[in-house]
Amino acid sequence: MRRTPDSTNTRLIPASVSIECHKQPNLTNIEEARSRSKSGPFSWQAGLLFLAAGGGLTFYFRYEKARMSRARIAEANKGIGKPLVGGPFTLTDHNNKPFTNDNLKGKYSLVYFGFSHCPDICPEELDKMAGMIEAVKEKHGEGVLRNVFITCDPARDTPQVLKSYLAEFHPEVLGLTGTWQQVKDVCKAYRVYFSTPADVKPGQDYLVDHSIYFYLMDPDGDFVEAIGRNFTVPAAAKVINDHIADWKGKIDRS
Amino acid sequence: MSWFTPTSPSSTLANPKPSEDGGFIAPDRTARSQCWEGRDSFFVCLEKNGIVDSVKEDAKAREHCAPELKEFEKVCASSWVTYFKKRRVMEHQRDLTIKKLAAEGATPMEGSSAGGAGAAALRGK
Repeated sequence: MRRTPDSTNTRLIPASVSIECHKQPNLTNIEEARSRSKSGPFSWQAGLLFLAAGGGLTFYFRYEKARMSRARIAEANKGIGKPLVGGPFTLTDHNNKPFTNDNLKGKYSLVYFGFSHCPDICPEELDKMAGMIEAVKEKHGEGVLRNVFITCDPARDTPQVLKSYLAEFHPEVLGLTGTWQQVKDVCKAYRVYFSTPADVKPGQDYLVDHSIYFYLMDPDGDFVEAIGRNFTVPAAAKVINDHIADWKGKIDRS
Repeated sequence: MSWFTPTSPSSTLANPKPSEDGGFIAPDRTARSQCWEGRDSFFVCLEKNGIVDSVKEDAKAREHCAPELKEFEKVCASSWVTYFKKRRVMEHQRDLTIKKLAAEGATPMEGSSAGGAGAAALRGK
């Protein structure tokens, strides 16, 4: 403590304070202190930064949440044991070449089960399929998606019949057929309801009952998702495009 | 084939031609839309006469809508004719049910949620 000289009723001032007071004028100190205490820790810059950070985090969370739920779906069907949907099969394509489940690997595949003598549903779904193919090409380019039509009516749908039938919808849809047993086996593997009797006489007129889904398979040949009739073309294309965008491996574009 | 008989596309529907490799040629886009037009004009006539189920009320349908029915059966395969008739009944009952549910205040289910709706359905959820 320093004693200030001169006066008898002097206060004792701590040395640190007296040095500070001599360094800066008192007025600015007090004003600054008052304005800071009025607005607290907030300024408009801090507010803006807060909003920007909040907005950025919200968008990031939503994007990640959607991606995680897609990844969950895509992974749900991998792993050990018998797959829920999919499996080995042997068929013949509409150019009379053999086609097995191995031929599905390398690209994403869109599989539809139907028959060419279908009154209205298969034509409708095939037109949708053509729309989906074009939408995927627009987003991801050529060679990413393989498109397959498997018949549930092998007696009438021979390779030649399928070739001319499918040509009217989209040149990239490959028709697959086979013996009654081969078709029955692939329907069983894909859990597609299959009602065609084994001993259909040639020239008979009948309809075939079958489940109506598009099955999306990934480049490993594993099932990803089933897209039902309730999906519009843009909604279905979005599902497919998002899965393709998520895929971390290689896609054979040949 | 006499000289004045036209080769109509309806023949591919009602009597499919066999293909060269043992199958049967399916109706093409033109044949299908011809069939659908025949079906629609038949259904318009049924609507006018208040008939929903033309399978059960076949006699009544034939009485009031004979020409439309004849055309319909000419341009469509018989399995398609039966299918469309049955589908008409199913759609009518479905619309009635939806109206009834809407009157009871049911909210429609969101059908087109992308991402797993179909997969969940396959898993039986």
